[in-house]
Amino acid sequence: MGKNFTKIFCFLLFFAFAAKANSNKHVDSKIAFNVNLLMFQQDSIQADTSIKDSIGRSIRERARFKGNRDSIKVSTARNLPNLSLQQMIKGNVSGLYVQETSGEPGSEQSMIIQGSSTPIFTKKDIYNMQPAVYVNGVYLVQEHPFAYEVQKYDYNRIGPATNLLANVDIDNIASIEVIKDPVSLAKLGPNAANGAIWITTKAAKSGLREISFNSYFGMVQAGGANTVNGVFENKFRQPFYQKYASQANLNNYASYLRDSTNLDYFGKSNWSDLYYQNAPIFTANLGITGGSEKANFRFFGSGTKNAGNADETSLTKYNAFFNINMMPFKWLTVSSFLNASRMDRDRNKNLRDRYAEVRYLPDFVNPLSPNKDNYQLFLNEYSKVVDDNRNNLLNGSLSLNFKLTPKLNFNTAVVFDYNEGIRDAFFPTTLMDGINFVSGYFGYNQRFGLNNQLNYQYDLNKDNVFDFEVGQSVQGDTYKYNYARGYDGNSDFIKINVVEGNSNDDDYLNAINNFYLFRYTDRTRNGMMSFYGSAKYSYKNLLSFGAIIRRDGSSNGQPDSRWITTPAFSADWNLKNQFLTKNKFFNQLNIGASWSRVAKIFLEDRFGAGPQYRSEYGWYEEPTIPTFGGFQGITRPYNTGWVGYGVSLPYADRLNISASSTMLNNRISTSVTLYNRTNKNQLLNIPVSGESGYTSIYKNGMEINNMGVDFDFTATIIPNEKALSWTSGLNLNYNKNELKALPDGLSELVIGDNKLKVGKSSGSYWLYTNNGIYNSDSEVPTNPSNGQKLAFNGLTLKAGDPRWVDYNGDYNITDADKQFTGDRLPKLIGGWMNDFKYKNFELNFHLFFALGQKAINQFDASRYDFANRESANDINSIKEVTTWQTSDKIKTYPIYNVWSNVIPYRADQDLFLENASYVKLRSVTLGYDLTKSKFISNAKLGFRRAYLYLTGSNLLTITNFSGTDPELINYTGYYNGTSLPIARTYTIGLKLDL
Amino acid sequence: MKFNKFLLVLLAGFFTTIGFSCKKVLEVQPNSLAAEENHWNNYEDAKGGLIGIYTLMRTAMVADNTHWLMGDLRQGDFTSTNRSDLKAIIDGELNASYPVIQRVSNWKRFYSVINAASLFIERSREIVASDPRYTPINNQVDVAQARALRAFAYFYMVRIWGDVPLLITSHDGDFNTHPRTSKDKVLAYATSELLLATKVLPFRYGGNDPIFPGLYYGANWPTWNGVLFTKLSAYAVLSHIAAWQGNYLDCEVYTKYFLDNITSLNGDGSFGVKYISVDELTENVNGYSPFAFKRAVQIVGFGFEYGNGEATANGHLEQLTLAAPLILKANPEIFIPKDTIRKAFTDVNDLRFSIDPLTKLYRKNYFTNYSSEQPIFSKIKCIGSAQISGNFALFTSAVLFTRYEEVTLLRAEALAVLGQRDEAISALNRASALRGIKPFQSNSSSDVIEAIFAERRRELMGEGWRWYDLVRLNRIKKNNPAFNTLLANGGIYWPVSRDILSANPSIKQNPYWN
Repeated sequence: MGKNFTKIFCFLLFFAFAAKANSNKHVDSKIAFNVNLLMFQQDSIQADTSIKDSIGRSIRERARFKGNRDSIKVSTARNLPNLSLQQMIKGNVSGLYVQETSGEPGSEQSMIIQGSSTPIFTKKDIYNMQPAVYVNGVYLVQEHPFAYEVQKYDYNRIGPATNLLANVDIDNIASIEVIKDPVSLAKLGPNAANGAIWITTKAAKSGLREISFNSYFGMVQAGGANTVNGVFENKFRQPFYQKYASQANLNNYASYLRDSTNLDYFGKSNWSDLYYQNAPIFTANLGITGGSEKANFRFFGSGTKNAGNADETSLTKYNAFFNINMMPFKWLTVSSFLNASRMDRDRNKNLRDRYAEVRYLPDFVNPLSPNKDNYQLFLNEYSKVVDDNRNNLLNGSLSLNFKLTPKLNFNTAVVFDYNEGIRDAFFPTTLMDGINFVSGYFGYNQRFGLNNQLNYQYDLNKDNVFDFEVGQSVQGDTYKYNYARGYDGNSDFIKINVVEGNSNDDDYLNAINNFYLFRYTDRTRNGMMSFYGSAKYSYKNLLSFGAIIRRDGSSNGQPDSRWITTPAFSADWNLKNQFLTKNKFFNQLNIGASWSRVAKIFLEDRFGAGPQYRSEYGWYEEPTIPTFGGFQGITRPYNTGWVGYGVSLPYADRLNISASSTMLNNRISTSVTLYNRTNKNQLLNIPVSGESGYTSIYKNGMEINNMGVDFDFTATIIPNEKALSWTSGLNLNYNKNELKALPDGLSELVIGDNKLKVGKSSGSYWLYTNNGIYNSDSEVPTNPSNGQKLAFNGLTLKAGDPRWVDYNGDYNITDADKQFTGDRLPKLIGGWMNDFKYKNFELNFHLFFALGQKAINQFDASRYDFANRESANDINSIKEVTTWQTSDKIKTYPIYNVWSNVIPYRADQDLFLENASYVKLRSVTLGYDLTKSKFISNAKLGFRRAYLYLTGSNLLTITNFSGTDPELINYTGYYNGTSLPIARTYTIGLKLDL
Repeated sequence: MKFNKFLLVLLAGFFTTIGFSCKKVLEVQPNSLAAEENHWNNYEDAKGGLIGIYTLMRTAMVADNTHWLMGDLRQGDFTSTNRSDLKAIIDGELNASYPVIQRVSNWKRFYSVINAASLFIERSREIVASDPRYTPINNQVDVAQARALRAFAYFYMVRIWGDVPLLITSHDGDFNTHPRTSKDKVLAYATSELLLATKVLPFRYGGNDPIFPGLYYGANWPTWNGVLFTKLSAYAVLSHIAAWQGNYLDCEVYTKYFLDNITSLNGDGSFGVKYISVDELTENVNGYSPFAFKRAVQIVGFGFEYGNGEATANGHLEQLTLAAPLILKANPEIFIPKDTIRKAFTDVNDLRFSIDPLTKLYRKNYFTNYSSEQPIFSKIKCIGSAQISGNFALFTSAVLFTRYEEVTLLRAEALAVLGQRDEAISALNRASALRGIKPFQSNSSSDVIEAIFAERRRELMGEGWRWYDLVRLNRIKKNNPAFNTLLANGGIYWPVSRDILSANPSIKQNPYWN
């Protein structure tokens, strides 16, 4: 902590000096700190509007990516009540896939650009493929997955588990670009190995003071549910008991369903009245820009409340942003920004999620009652719960640009990002069978970087222009958390864990005679150092060639292989200028190709160390037992996998070939990019023979290829400026994933319930084929060679068991009979955006779709597998209140013998595999531009712009999927029905520019 | 002018960068691990490595309740309330495809012990050279423990799977596959290793042991008792290996040594060893409970001490057997039906369980709620801080392989098989002397071997012995045709998990399960 504050303090001090050092006559050193002062000083600043914003322009020119086609239409996005970056870009850019796995506001979300580079078997894998997000050149630091090591379940990360990218406020953003071009990515280096998202905030600019005010108010609509009670459940179970139950099974009939006079379970099922509720959402923000040519500023402040329509979930955030640009000398530009936010999240009351953190499972024999009155009792007890989740985020940069000669430019920037998460939780005894629970979490992620660049432009002659750049950067990350969970406190009134504060006491930092405490703390740091040089050559306006070579070193690499040198090349050809200068049809026509190799740095520090010792000796059910006999043991990493010497850094090879053109007086613009990305030399944790004592060993050599096409098409279909106009934009991505190689030249590999096979997609399911049911023992085929009946892993199949296909004909259904079928990730994704304008009205609607992906309906699997689920008394036995509902879409399956030892309703068969393709109507916005309306313009209120709009979001889903929503499928492809719905939202908003 | 400015900036750039020299940025010491070169350097590394082997052994025995799932269920006294996976084990359908069965039938966790022990044996001597605090004798004692634990792990596996791969070095960093070795060879190796260890292992650590006196890693015997393998622990395991091989001659020799030297565990200011009373056995009486705390009576056992944060839900029989009224859970996962209880406890004065013929009241030491359909097997009940009931369902009972009474009964068995009937009866009666039952009369016409195993069934109920006892009994008696088939076809062994088979093609499934 202290260290960070020191760093931040140093930064502020530097900032202050920088402010002091400027020679601007109009602005004194208070500029850095006193916003109010600035606002009212406006009058004294002689604004010169004739020279337009030269500092701002020079800064924007330095932005490395301009004119990129893969930017989202920010003006449209500003009308939507989206909370997170992921939501803002979803369906807007070709090749970028965002799936909201929960409708809970502020919960973690992910992005995948142009297919997945690794198999997704656990939640941790998702962290490893997130694109880098930059805000004004600051590479944002995200949560580190290392906390999962001390967790038993990976449903949620410990701590607030808030999506840190919910911090982005669209009203303060000038542009969001998704960078997919190999050479541009190479310039960003290993950070951007998974692609990058480049956000530029609205910048300070000189001129008359400008104020913009934006606000919306809206409602999320309560979802409805077709609720059921014990009668439904009994009816569902009846056929199983009639067909297969033994006396013992009958005796063990679920106790809560036994007594049909019990109103708790057989009364009115109206829990949904309390569970699903309309909730208000709103935001208000204010942006102010102003200043002179020599110094100008922007301030932005906002407050937002977003809510879900279920379980009283919400997220509140406050954001303050401050940007100053100064030009103390002609040759020096100073620009800096500081962005601070706070997010508070009210999380769900989902029992599975809460018990997963608690890691203490009481008896689940009697689930929550579907009755409202009973559910209210639960909610009353839940009101004693403490569940505080807070994130504080601060990022910023200070950059100095020296124009040494007209052609030589030096830029240096200090960037930092710090965010901390704090979570306090307490669950009273009344909710957990007489035991209470407390937990406290504090964690921070911190990144500090220094980037230096030197540019030189060399014009050989008019036709031959060179651009040279050399750069160097240093980046240091620190991730840390302290976490404690405690049980069985003395009373429900002491809701925090009080520890002994006297450092001389033997019990220093131990709980004072109260909770039974487990404590975890970890810290990981990594450093990266990069050097690069780039050159660009353009010949007239026809051809340009670029090349980059860079060398990166990472502390997470092994000493002998932590440095890696990677090149990149590009070539662009302007066909329009070359051949079609006279052509009227084409306004622009370019083709280009670019290739790059970029290293991908390990997230974890374990690989840099080589063979190592850790303290890991827990088991599946108890992964974090601390000691034996009170002493900590040190062992090889038997559970997490052997790391040997010779682990080297993976890298991605990308090749893009693209063509773009605009036609018909710029009415149509289109671009096609063929991409081919191969992630090579990737580490894979390969299962090893158990005799080694290890579960697995990390080995380099996995190679995954994603090949596909991005297609963008925009057309002004009706160009009429005066009356109705219509613009339509379509983006599409088709992706094909293929596993090219496995470590050690293996051709296939089984990892748990998954199999990787060279030549197949790495996201493919691997399942038994279900072909019906054996109604009698005599239907089970017999092996003519030895008279043995068909078996499932050695267990003879009987009446009531599924008819699984025995592909290899050995009369034993084993792993060898599992087939590759269906894919987790969609084949085709895209969005379709339409803008209509009529006079002062604007209508916009946005459709997006994902086609070709499959999902395992685990919710149905466990619904049918009730016998095993209820008796196991594990985390999967939990029956949420939301399970007291059904739907018209719900599927029915054959009635198998649920008590059979083959587990007929196992999830690893194609019985539960469903098509999860969908098309969604994401939003419809109707806007009215008040500025042009007479009564406003006549009133002469001085608005530059006044805009009123109505928006409906998440309005419609078209899908064959039988669950509630095909987006609510977790990353590994399982639909388990526990996610909160994505709420339909209606907002009315106003935008004023003064 | 311009040139000067240029220089100035370059210098500024240079100086800002120099602060972050490559080395400083890229040499980061990880927090949560020790790299190879930083280990095997000092005294603390030796202690950590040694404790690591113990923790792994504890994990191997208790993971998913292995010890009881494999020891107490198959053909045993327990019935599953409604868990199909446990029922499958009880019925001997060990190839059922439940996740728990898949996990327990994976022997990887035992090989973690073996690998850690081999590595310790190979590497710990490096510390003697680098840290003067680590004396050669200390190292020898540590290595002896590693040998004993490795041998114990092999024996435990052979009981479960029969033939298992025999690895006697760590093959550190080398991941070759190995085929199965015949069980006789593995047990012979385990025996030789244990005999080697017994030469060095002390009776007590940290006290006035004749072989190895003085503090052990800075701590005294009250710290170490019940934690570490002693000389007698090794002898107990030796006796069991011999008995499992049917080599009752050796078994008799080892058990004799054990019983003759049992008092060596007493002294040095800690609770010692004695034949314990029923209350001491079942009511967590401080000092002599074989389950609560760590105590010398746990001859071979691995504790879960509440005070050290080692309380867990899984890894204890209590998770399967306890329910209301002792904890809040409504139904136990396994229970012993009344019929079975009545068949096992035949003596009306048995203090563990019996019904008073007059008052019809029953003794509650072993069972709670006997009158209900599902009596709670409450012999072992360490709830939270070794309470006998409570709401906080994290358990702290030690996983116990053997205790004084068990070794005494094993000696009785060995003597009986060897035909020394009187000595056998005397050992049997000594082991059960505090149980309130009528001593076995030497003129009784009953079969003394049957009587010994009946007493084992009562005394060791829920301690993971029943299935292995049945195997030994049937090997001696050979009067149960169904069991003889199991013995002949290798059906007494568990199938090898699919994960093992798919990762190592040279391992073949136990033919019985094909």
